[in-house]
Amino acid sequence: MSGEWIVETHDLTKKYGEHVALDSVNLNIRPGATGLLGPNGAGKSTLLKTILGLIALTSGSGKVLDHDIATEGPKIRQRIGYMPEYDCLIPDMEAIHQVRYAGELLGMNSNSATQRAHEVLEYVGLRDQRYRAVSTFSTGMEQATKLACSLIHDPDLLICDEPTNGLDATARGFMLDTLFQVVKQGGRSIIMSSHLMDDVERICDRMLMIHKGQVIAQGRIQDLKAIDREIEISVWGGANRIEEKLKDMGQSVRRTGRVMRITRIDETTYRTIIKAAAETNVQIRKMEDYEPSLEDLFIVIMDRLGYSVKSSKDLLAGPTPTMDQAALQGRKVA
Amino acid sequence: MTEEEDFGLDDLLEGFTPTPPTQDPAPPTNLPVPAPPSEAEFMGESGAVTGKARMEAAYGTGDGEGQGVAMVAQSAKVEAGTIFHQVYRPWRGNLNPRWVRNWSIFRHHVYGLFSKGHRPWPMTTKLFIAIVLFGSLIPILTMAMSVLTGLSGLMEFYGVSRANLWGHVLGVFHNTCCWPLLTALVVGGLISEDRQHGTSAIYFSRPVTRTDYTLMKYLSASAILSMIIVFSYCAYYVAAIIFNNEGWAYLLDTLPFFLGGLVAAVMLVVTFTSIGLALSSLSSGRFFPAVAFLGIIFGSRILAFLIKLLFERDTLYLISPYDNLAHVGQWMMGLNTTYDFPPAWSLVSLLLMNGVSLYILISRVNSLEVTRE
Repeated sequence: MSGEWIVETHDLTKKYGEHVALDSVNLNIRPGATGLLGPNGAGKSTLLKTILGLIALTSGSGKVLDHDIATEGPKIRQRIGYMPEYDCLIPDMEAIHQVRYAGELLGMNSNSATQRAHEVLEYVGLRDQRYRAVSTFSTGMEQATKLACSLIHDPDLLICDEPTNGLDATARGFMLDTLFQVVKQGGRSIIMSSHLMDDVERICDRMLMIHKGQVIAQGRIQDLKAIDREIEISVWGGANRIEEKLKDMGQSVRRTGRVMRITRIDETTYRTIIKAAAETNVQIRKMEDYEPSLEDLFIVIMDRLGYSVKSSKDLLAGPTPTMDQAALQGRKVA
Repeated sequence: MTEEEDFGLDDLLEGFTPTPPTQDPAPPTNLPVPAPPSEAEFMGESGAVTGKARMEAAYGTGDGEGQGVAMVAQSAKVEAGTIFHQVYRPWRGNLNPRWVRNWSIFRHHVYGLFSKGHRPWPMTTKLFIAIVLFGSLIPILTMAMSVLTGLSGLMEFYGVSRANLWGHVLGVFHNTCCWPLLTALVVGGLISEDRQHGTSAIYFSRPVTRTDYTLMKYLSASAILSMIIVFSYCAYYVAAIIFNNEGWAYLLDTLPFFLGGLVAAVMLVVTFTSIGLALSSLSSGRFFPAVAFLGIIFGSRILAFLIKLLFERDTLYLISPYDNLAHVGQWMMGLNTTYDFPPAWSLVSLLLMNGVSLYILISRVNSLEVTRE
């Protein structure tokens, strides 16, 4: 891979009849771990199929791992490991043979595929279970087998579609640790589609959010979090007074009981807060920069798009008519 | 400070003098150093071995069930209870070209009949194939018995002739009890089960095109059917030559209708595979395609037969794949045809059936998804 980007698209558009699945998508994904977020029907699946070089584009162009999306689909898929969200395993086959066959379908010869299947099943924690039929596996073991299938040829890019779907806490932790190691230890890149913000935040340093076929945010999570930095204070003795005072002083305040978050404009915001406390005779018992989570970032982005959501669950579960109306007025955040 | 006084952040920081970070005390040197783990757990990576299985630790099926953290994921620190080192190992091999991938699909399906590790065919299917194969080789055994015992009647009855060769491929018994059931069992789940289990994602997320997928499925199914139908047909003819110690004259006499029968056998395999795979691509399960295939083969025959009984018109046999094949086979082998319409009509009907089946097959394979929405 010679380029700076692993995925690069220019005005990528895909229409299914009248329905626009991808609308002039311009992507620049760097090597590393990137989270793909978006509600159901946002165009995530279409984007993944595009990256895999599986669908004919309506217009635009793109490259994945320096291969053209439109003309070099098979070459792209040779270098990508894809872990589907849903079942994709042959139930009565043993895990070792399933993984070996996945390798053979990529063009590995049978001996190499068998040897590598042992290695990757060991890697995903299934060494002792590799001769068991997949139908006897738990959900976690099935997910691990799917991951082994996608890792068998040591891909440059791993695409994971909801890798922790249906896993309990222990198995989920193991899956995320394994994916993390693929990036950090193996030096491979991952595009991970997930509805779970925590999972994305744990693995990915970058994120890509799409909605209604458009990219609404992309970049480093840390940078995106800096869109709205806040200062969190805990006050005693007159929370209403200081809230009013801060608002009078032109500050943006979010309050839950005695805890308030004030949008940090610049360094002077600290002084303003302390001044407001002094003038209203209110004790500030704690003041610190608030580290927003990806969930907070999501809410901020959706808020800017005109949605009123309390958590990602409100939107990721699926669009509602109200949300559709809001999306019409949507604008790009980044 | 009074409330009236100006109050600033600097005031808060006033008097605060940062203290240098304290260093951790040096570890005592006289403590016993823990012995390094003696047993290599994973490809030369040493680590403590507890005897717990990896799955117990990773998925909480054993003692580690109550633990909140998967211990297997701790790669860098070796502590008591660590099960194994999770080390990502790169692979530096080369991926082979298209034909190797296609061969693996073919092998997966065909080898699955004989050995473990490939497509898991149901035991009933394997058993039925074995029985049909054995049954179709019975004429050879009978001819061998005739030669060994000197009973010439057996050879006259089971020996090679136009009618016997036609009957081996297109006879009513074989086409009622053997080939349709065989096709239904073999072809029924070939594509429908990929749809049912989502296995199509394994194929299409790899550099396997839909054309390759369809072609290799088709070849696999037809190879299995040919293994029984065409192989037993050829074996029957060869055995007759060997057992009777026939010469070139016999060969010249019989080769034309043998080849006619061979073409008819291939046409039967192709037609049954096309129809069977088209039905398989329509469904998500092996039951419907199998039953639908039998319904088409037997239903069309029965319907045409009833129409003939009632109205003394046998044109409706054109909708029956078997009768079209039988008619064309009779014509190619030089037998008197038993149908009132010309064999060319049957041939055109067969071509249409295959064309429609392939169209359905291709369009349905195109609808197989990599991602489900």
